[in-house]
Amino acid sequence: MSWYTLPTNVPWLTLILVLPLVGALLVAITPSVAGRVIKQLGILTSVLTLALVVAVIGGFQQGVGNLHLQFEETLQWIPSLGISYHLGIDGLSLFLLGLNALLFLIAIVVTDSSTRRLKEFILLLLILEAATAGILLALDLILFYVFWEAMLVPLYFLIGVWGEGRRIYAAFKFLIYTVVGSFAMLVAILAVAGINFSQTGQLTFDWTVLVQHPATGVWHLPGGLPSIGIPQLLFVGFALAFAIKMPIWPLHTWLPAAYTASPIPVVIVFAGLVSKLGAYGFLRFNLALFPDAAHSLGGPLAVLATIGILYGAFMALVQTDLKRLVAYASMSHLGFIGLGIFTGNLLGIEGALVQMINHGVIIAALFLVVGMIELRAGTRLRAELRGLAATAPLFAALFLVVSLAALGLPGLNGFVGEFLIMLGAWASFLPLAVGAGIGVILAAWYVLRFYQGSTQEAPPQPASFPEVRLVDVGVLAPLLALMLVIGISPAFFPAAVDATVKALPVILR
Amino acid sequence: MTINLNGLGIDYGAILPELIVVGTAIVVLFLDLVVPPERRGWLAAVTVVGLLGALAASFPLWGQNRAAFGDTVVADSLAAFFNILLIAVSILTALISPRFLRALDLDYGEYYVLLLGATAGMMLLAAATSLMTIFLGIELLSISLYVLSGFARTALRSQEAALKYLLLGGFATGFLLYGMALIYGATGATTLRAIAAYTTAAATSNVLLLVGIALLSVGLAFKVSAAPFHMWTPDVYEGAPTVVTTFMSVATKAAAFAAVGRIFIATFPTLWTRWYFPLVLIAILSLIIGNLVAITQDNLKRMLAYSGIAHAGYILLGVLPGTTQGFTATLFYIAAYAVMNFGAFAVVTAIGAGGEQTADLSYWRGLFYRRPFLATVMTIFMLSLAGIPPTVGFFAKLFVFQALVTAQLWAPLVVAVIMTIVSFYYYLRVIVVMLAQPDGKVAEGHVGFSTSTVLGAAAVATVFLGLFPSVVLDWARSAASLHF
Repeated sequence: MSWYTLPTNVPWLTLILVLPLVGALLVAITPSVAGRVIKQLGILTSVLTLALVVAVIGGFQQGVGNLHLQFEETLQWIPSLGISYHLGIDGLSLFLLGLNALLFLIAIVVTDSSTRRLKEFILLLLILEAATAGILLALDLILFYVFWEAMLVPLYFLIGVWGEGRRIYAAFKFLIYTVVGSFAMLVAILAVAGINFSQTGQLTFDWTVLVQHPATGVWHLPGGLPSIGIPQLLFVGFALAFAIKMPIWPLHTWLPAAYTASPIPVVIVFAGLVSKLGAYGFLRFNLALFPDAAHSLGGPLAVLATIGILYGAFMALVQTDLKRLVAYASMSHLGFIGLGIFTGNLLGIEGALVQMINHGVIIAALFLVVGMIELRAGTRLRAELRGLAATAPLFAALFLVVSLAALGLPGLNGFVGEFLIMLGAWASFLPLAVGAGIGVILAAWYVLRFYQGSTQEAPPQPASFPEVRLVDVGVLAPLLALMLVIGISPAFFPAAVDATVKALPVILR
Repeated sequence: MTINLNGLGIDYGAILPELIVVGTAIVVLFLDLVVPPERRGWLAAVTVVGLLGALAASFPLWGQNRAAFGDTVVADSLAAFFNILLIAVSILTALISPRFLRALDLDYGEYYVLLLGATAGMMLLAAATSLMTIFLGIELLSISLYVLSGFARTALRSQEAALKYLLLGGFATGFLLYGMALIYGATGATTLRAIAAYTTAAATSNVLLLVGIALLSVGLAFKVSAAPFHMWTPDVYEGAPTVVTTFMSVATKAAAFAAVGRIFIATFPTLWTRWYFPLVLIAILSLIIGNLVAITQDNLKRMLAYSGIAHAGYILLGVLPGTTQGFTATLFYIAAYAVMNFGAFAVVTAIGAGGEQTADLSYWRGLFYRRPFLATVMTIFMLSLAGIPPTVGFFAKLFVFQALVTAQLWAPLVVAVIMTIVSFYYYLRVIVVMLAQPDGKVAEGHVGFSTSTVLGAAAVATVFLGLFPSVVLDWARSAASLHF
């Protein structure tokens, strides 16, 4: 990156947070009847946010700054308790922030103008965008937690009000699962700060300080029970929150329900982004704050991640509803990301980071395709779909590229991440690499069957599947472009994230 | 014969806010004789003006440490903190009352007199530094509330609530007074300062004193509706007119916790090892009973009553470490609870102004589609009570948890965290019900200007204090540094 230098006296990251909120405010004061204006306001806001994020990505200087962090902003928030408003980005968050801005723009563009209560829908999407951006930017643990929880509320309503089928059940299940993990993390956060306070005398929740004083110590249980390492205990506290959000098998059961119930614009950001925030949390907190514990507990988690790859793939094979199929495929792919993270080596973690972006791009494209199919054919059931290519060849071509990226064809982006992860896993956990390889084969099976089944053979009579419109191509185009760019020039990402990943304490050992 | 009063430390300035409130009550009592029945809204206005005067008189107490009237009351930051809080709650209650009272045909001037009387009692309790004034404050607030809970004279439930509250309250008063007598017997003193001096000097194994503290705790636990002395709460909250429930649910709890702080944190710090364990039990029981039973409630007033029992547990958690940090968290929690719980009950009041039995959860079905303003503010209050950021309820829990972590009190922390997760179920259930498709039972209607202003202000405060908790936290910190 570092194509140019941005002026440093501008609070760039705060602007990225505030812009969607300003948009939300403007939407809030626009009368509900002006649906067109509301949607345009939403698009305008997210375009501006994306532009700002791209500007920041372009101005990111590789490998400089305290802990490789840049654009840092620090303000006092609750000084008496050592809680601050501290923002910053590094190689871990940089591209996810870009993905965030891109996916929200797409989500708002594909929002149907005839959606009921459009105003509230766009409003909640913009608030959600600010919250997810905040998760990626926050460097204070309490600030992070605030954004982490704040994300739940708009998501809960987006599923609960605008969802389909058992929407309230799905929203409720998602929320209860997430909250259980969140509170485990909250206690761990308080304990991290408390331990740091007793060791250094400084009361702070600042990540940049805590990361330099890894927690140590052993908790002696009474009555002859084995002692527990305190870092391991804290690791589990954080891991529970992130494993549920990702989700890692067997904490995934909220996912199919929530994805299936979500409307298409919501599922794009939900599957494309929110699940990645769990992976991001692992990298930012579990690996950086508790490197020793990450080494000792990485193995079992890697096994769970591999089970997730296979479980998701097998479940995707037997689904008849395309939305559920993509939901389980997403779970399988998330297993790869988890496996990469828990290898604890450079290749695996870089692969996971790349795959986080890739998965966001691919899964968003897949859900867009599912949405287009449902809109045109009026059904999502695999058995009722065939022959789309005959009447909509352009659509079929776009669909093919997305499918090939999803199954990890070399030359497209999915391959790059999976390949790096497999290399990393090969070095750390050989049997798991074999398991993940089987997952790749299964992916080819369910993706190609999905593609072939719906596009080939003669269309049902009368053929009623219209060709894609310009706007459909428009929303898919940036995702397809990313698939090609990352696929053809895979060094692009590792170069930018390399410095940060190499600085993770878990790598140094 | 002349009586020399100089030695008693008469200092009306120290109790000026209380005097103003009592004075306003007398004015309202007389005004009621001349104001025509259809103009009773004026009484509310006079009440608010008097309370605003008391509010203004409370600020100068901040930062002082003026013991007055023979060391039976003190004008200090803690008293000022509670004065401001209690008066604010009282003002908001007076603002939402007229519409509700008119709708239920309860529009009598005595209502405001009793409201002011209860407020004065609570303020006195917060400033009390002697067993005598503590008793006086508690009785003044209780007797006013006994009558207020039965204010809907013709409604059987209201009568039942008042009787239940009166009988059980009288019972609790017995415990309280017996405890006070034993403490006096053990220490030979009635002022907290003298009692504190005795406990630091003498051995901490004086059985008479410990039994006295235990009985006193029972009386106070009753007032804050902590388990297992909570039995009256759901019935009284449900039976009392909603606007009264709104007031008592937050104000009584706040005032009683002021006394808890003065007694346990300031007077008996050396007896921490003695009172810690019973209070842990009370806190844990309140958390478990409050949260678990709240799940099963289909009536919103009962649900909020059990939630209030649970919150008494959370607030008590801050007292457990016996530290200033812990009590700061307690004070912040009380302020947060006042804002969000007042808001939640005020929404029930606003809907209840239709005059029907509207606290049943089925009545709230689809509220989002019928009365979006009420549903939105109710959502904010529910999220805050559950402790989801960015609302003030989150920081209230955070600070209490942090105090427990610092003091390494893990057992109550674990229970509190698990019960918080449980609590999500019933708070969110209200939101779920409001989101469901309406079935036509929700009445359309106006909320009224003053009520919607109050609701809007409470909702804004809930979010604003969630974004900027520092101001209140700093106040709470200065108010919490108590010493004798």
